[in-house]
Amino acid sequence: MIHDFTYLKPVTLQEALSMLADHKDECKVICGGQSLLIVMRQGLVVTDYLIDIKGLNELNYITYDEKQGLRMGATTTHRTVEKSNLLKQKYPVLVAVERKLASAQVRNWGTIAGNLAHGDSSGDLAPTLIALNAKIKLSSAKGSRVMPLEEFYTGLFETALNKDELVVEIQVPPARLLTATAYKKFNLIENDQGVAGVAATVEVDQSRACKDARIVLSNAGVTPIRAKSGEKVLIGKKLSDALLTEAAEAVADEADPVSDIHASEEYRRHLIRVLTKRMVKQAWEQAAKLR
Amino acid sequence: MEKRELRLTVNGQEYELYINPKTLLVEVIRDHIGLTGTKRGCETVSCGACTVIIDDIAVKSCSILAVQAEGRQVRTVEGLEANGKLAPLQKSFLDHGSYQCGFCTPGMLMMSEAFLKENPTPTREEIKEGIEGNICRCTGYNSIVRAVEAVAKGDYKGE
Amino acid sequence: MTINKYSVINTHVHNVDGIAKVTGRATYTFDVKLPGMLYGKILRSPHPHAKILNIDYSKALQLPGVIGVVTGKDTLGVKQGIWRRFQDLCDEQMLTVEKVRYIGEPVAAVAALTEEIAEQALDLIDVEYEVLPSVFEPLDAIKKEAPEIHEGFERNINVTRHIEWGDVEAAFEEADYIREDWFKCGGQAHMCMETRAAVSSYTPDGKLTVYHSTQAPYYMQTLLAGVLGLKEGNIRVISHYVGGGFGGKFELDGAIFCSAVLSMKLYRPVKIVFTREEEFIATKRRTPMSYYVRTGVKKDGTFCAREAKVFTNGGAYTGMGATALYLTGFFHSFPYRWTGYRYDGYRVYTNTLPSSAMRGFGAPQAMWCSEQQIEWIAADLGLDPIEMRRKNAHYPGYEVPGQASIASCGIDQCFDVIQKWVKDKGKLPGNRAIGISAAGFMSGGIFNWFDTPYSFSSAVVTINYDGTVELYVGAQDIGQGSNTTLAIICAETLGVKIGDIKVHSGDTEHCPADLGAWGSRQTLMAGNAVKMAAEDAKKQLLEIAYAQSGFNIVYDLDIKNRWVHAIDRPERGYDYAELVQKAIRGKEGQRIVGRGYYTPHRKGMISPAYSYMLQGVEVEIDKETGKIKLVDSLTAHDCGQPINRLGLMGQLEGAFSMAAGYGYLEYMPYEDGKLMNPNLVDYKVIRATEMPEVSVAEIDTYEPEGPYGAKEAGEGLTNPTAAAISNAIFHALGVQMKECPIRPEMIVNALKEKETKEREKK
Repeated sequence: MIHDFTYLKPVTLQEALSMLADHKDECKVICGGQSLLIVMRQGLVVTDYLIDIKGLNELNYITYDEKQGLRMGATTTHRTVEKSNLLKQKYPVLVAVERKLASAQVRNWGTIAGNLAHGDSSGDLAPTLIALNAKIKLSSAKGSRVMPLEEFYTGLFETALNKDELVVEIQVPPARLLTATAYKKFNLIENDQGVAGVAATVEVDQSRACKDARIVLSNAGVTPIRAKSGEKVLIGKKLSDALLTEAAEAVADEADPVSDIHASEEYRRHLIRVLTKRMVKQAWEQAAKLR
Repeated sequence: MEKRELRLTVNGQEYELYINPKTLLVEVIRDHIGLTGTKRGCETVSCGACTVIIDDIAVKSCSILAVQAEGRQVRTVEGLEANGKLAPLQKSFLDHGSYQCGFCTPGMLMMSEAFLKENPTPTREEIKEGIEGNICRCTGYNSIVRAVEAVAKGDYKGE
Repeated sequence: MTINKYSVINTHVHNVDGIAKVTGRATYTFDVKLPGMLYGKILRSPHPHAKILNIDYSKALQLPGVIGVVTGKDTLGVKQGIWRRFQDLCDEQMLTVEKVRYIGEPVAAVAALTEEIAEQALDLIDVEYEVLPSVFEPLDAIKKEAPEIHEGFERNINVTRHIEWGDVEAAFEEADYIREDWFKCGGQAHMCMETRAAVSSYTPDGKLTVYHSTQAPYYMQTLLAGVLGLKEGNIRVISHYVGGGFGGKFELDGAIFCSAVLSMKLYRPVKIVFTREEEFIATKRRTPMSYYVRTGVKKDGTFCAREAKVFTNGGAYTGMGATALYLTGFFHSFPYRWTGYRYDGYRVYTNTLPSSAMRGFGAPQAMWCSEQQIEWIAADLGLDPIEMRRKNAHYPGYEVPGQASIASCGIDQCFDVIQKWVKDKGKLPGNRAIGISAAGFMSGGIFNWFDTPYSFSSAVVTINYDGTVELYVGAQDIGQGSNTTLAIICAETLGVKIGDIKVHSGDTEHCPADLGAWGSRQTLMAGNAVKMAAEDAKKQLLEIAYAQSGFNIVYDLDIKNRWVHAIDRPERGYDYAELVQKAIRGKEGQRIVGRGYYTPHRKGMISPAYSYMLQGVEVEIDKETGKIKLVDSLTAHDCGQPINRLGLMGQLEGAFSMAAGYGYLEYMPYEDGKLMNPNLVDYKVIRATEMPEVSVAEIDTYEPEGPYGAKEAGEGLTNPTAAAISNAIFHALGVQMKECPIRPEMIVNALKEKETKEREKK
């Protein structure tokens, strides 16, 4: 059962931040609540104050410009991302990821910041955004800071968010030519939580050799894992099966997956190998428009 | 903990309630207002039996605080019919036998209703994806998909 | 395809409960609210095996809003079971008194003003346990040093079953090829959308009214009488709409028992609804089984001998596990002729969730082992798997020695259909394959271990002055559509329209006794009762019609589509409504009442009739990840005369989804007696995106024992799919899977093993 709390509903971001400042040790923030209410019902999260920011429309936006890139407000729902024509053009991987995330009902009410702040390493959005080199903006009554999303995750369901801070915005650098990102998670049922997943961004040069790469793993450790050794294998090389195998091996070594009822550690590593090859290849070919 | 006033519009009817803010939307619908068509089948936002529509979008009412629905239009299965006249989806479900025990049916109907509003000309694959968040243990889903397809095709227009 | 000679049977008929279900008006036990009602919650054992030394609930009573607490000491301590004729198998106290035998077993129950208070009260009950050693696997539980779970059951062997015919050793001698395999079949959760729910109301006149989500109101009434010390006639069980049963809801459960005990103590209605987690950990499951099979065949594929030894994981109590033990042994021979057959089944107690009945009742497990081994034998011998099955299959008139007389049997035509389907599919892409499996099931059991004095099924038909018909049945509609199926039979027999029938079911106060919805019994047994009752009523109508008609004696009359007429002169007739009015006047103003009943007599050891089928499933497999995708399916199906057309398609598609889940999704891992995934995130069930097209080809047969030639449809369809999927995997990858459900990791490991073996050979 959910424990009683005092309900606070700020009308503006500033109001929300000052409420956070007042109650920082004894409050929790709810937006869509699609993850939070489950853990509150289980008694895993107990709070004296609940600050509801779902109504903060000023944080509900998706904007893009060629210089700054993509800006998504914290209370933007998954569904808005999924249906965005802008994103379909500029960052199709985000639309693809959202289509396979949970169910339509959850995507209709849940928000991207809520998802990211929850800190579940098996989530799909964080690794994809990290592969897109995203940054996250955190605000408090005292001011704001921006950090690479990669640095936001500090441990199992732990983030760098301070008790008086709110996630307010996700920032993604402008879409570039000859660059593509692909994400796939392995699950038994469509849209199910991934057993393991791989996001890969590949940037190619004019000769279709890999100029830059980012490989990020989901459900392969306590946080999303950036597989830097795997990335290094690809840089400067041309696409080949042997290269993919070598990179996959390096990526699997960097993974730190658990064994649970859904998969053993070895099988997760195996999946990571397979998905790395597939996603790097897919991103590479998309980037080079070899398809 | 202070109780809160809540003004909620359900199926076009405004209700004035006084609730503990931790009350879930499904609890307000079923227990406070007394509309028991909407069901609950799990604690993990997995089954979809509690699906209702808020302002044209389908949501799982077990994972929404009732206070968040303030000032919005909530629709439940009871609101599909109008003066005893069944909605096209309901007629199609009857024709296609798209229910057996019927427990998931209200949620399925509301999800399908919202889905068709958003995507009036879906492919079969899209319909399956559309109801992916709703579990049915009895029918194997295919009859539900057929029913939604028939409505999308216009089989119940002007009835 | 035969022309449909019926007006209502096998036509497109809306489910009679449709309007209620699609408008949200259907009231399930989950929805029931009574004046003054309290909410109950159950305290459950955290230990798999322990003595209860003391329960102190004084603190719970002090919590404001708590009205009462009960423990086993508040009960008569009756050990009950559904096999009432075998008292030693009645081993389960619904609120245990002395010791707990599985994690999740109820030890106390609280009633409070709100659910939240009741839940808080649970934390205030102190239970002192003396933890005992526990055992979780049957092969461990039968060891000499294993802890004794039930007194008097040596080696924890709960039930044994032996089925044998022919000279088995001689039959093995005849075989040119013998193969033996070991299999492990998992459990499965019913996962009904409506969890267990009951509202009990005991009143000062000594009467108990219970709303219960159940498959068998009469069973609940009788079993409650036994455990509560009440007269059956003082107990009323109401169950109008049930959110799924699948075999889990025809025994007493914690919800009905604890709510009744609480209500009897507090004289207020008490409602208990299980959470989904409780549903997983504390409602009985499909029986996990370990199978050893040894089969001998001739080199031309003729089946000679089969020997099977099975250990089932019975869990902590018997429940319906004895029947599952028996049926698995019988269906493991099905649908083939064996010169020699021997089955030895052992149901073993362990400290885990009791296993009991679930759709298929031991047959999915039996087919999973049998149909795979048969496929491997065909491959070993280079024989066509369909032809090999065909040459050994049952046929109409076949006697399964000492077990069953087969009347209708359409399996041979099933082989034709699937053979053609496979041929038409042609060569499949490299990552796809087709697997087949035969199966069948009983149409209700002949057994009366429940020890009922009543007919197995009964029905009453009453005709009102306006021609509308009240049909009273004890058969229970849990979603499978029995209300509709029986209304169809009634309408057809009486000669009226389906809209003229109003079905009354789910209330022991108004409906006749019936064993309920399990074992696929209702179409045949309740259907026969309904047919008999409708014929009785029609006869009374026609008596008046004959008297009034003035027809020559050679003419006989009938009613069809509300038209009373001479069969040879259909144009000479009049409206049924008119006849009804005359008939009621003829009976001095009394409604026409017809009665019917059915109990199987001398119908072998298992069932009066059997369904048959052959199912083909096309599967796509990702060889690198082991992920399975279902692509297409066709079932050639013999259920005799189909009655409820929409219902039949629904049963096929629904059974497929549940059976496929058993084959490759619904993993239920336990660790030290604790279920590791008691929720719908981690326990996987099929969703809309996973379902392939599922088609059926009905084979035309006529079952003499069934109403209009009908037999069961819906449970048999749960039996072949897991095996068909496994056989597809075998054909796609060449790996033989010995454990189900088959998860992708297992496939990847099996492939690795295969590659290693092949490399070693070189």
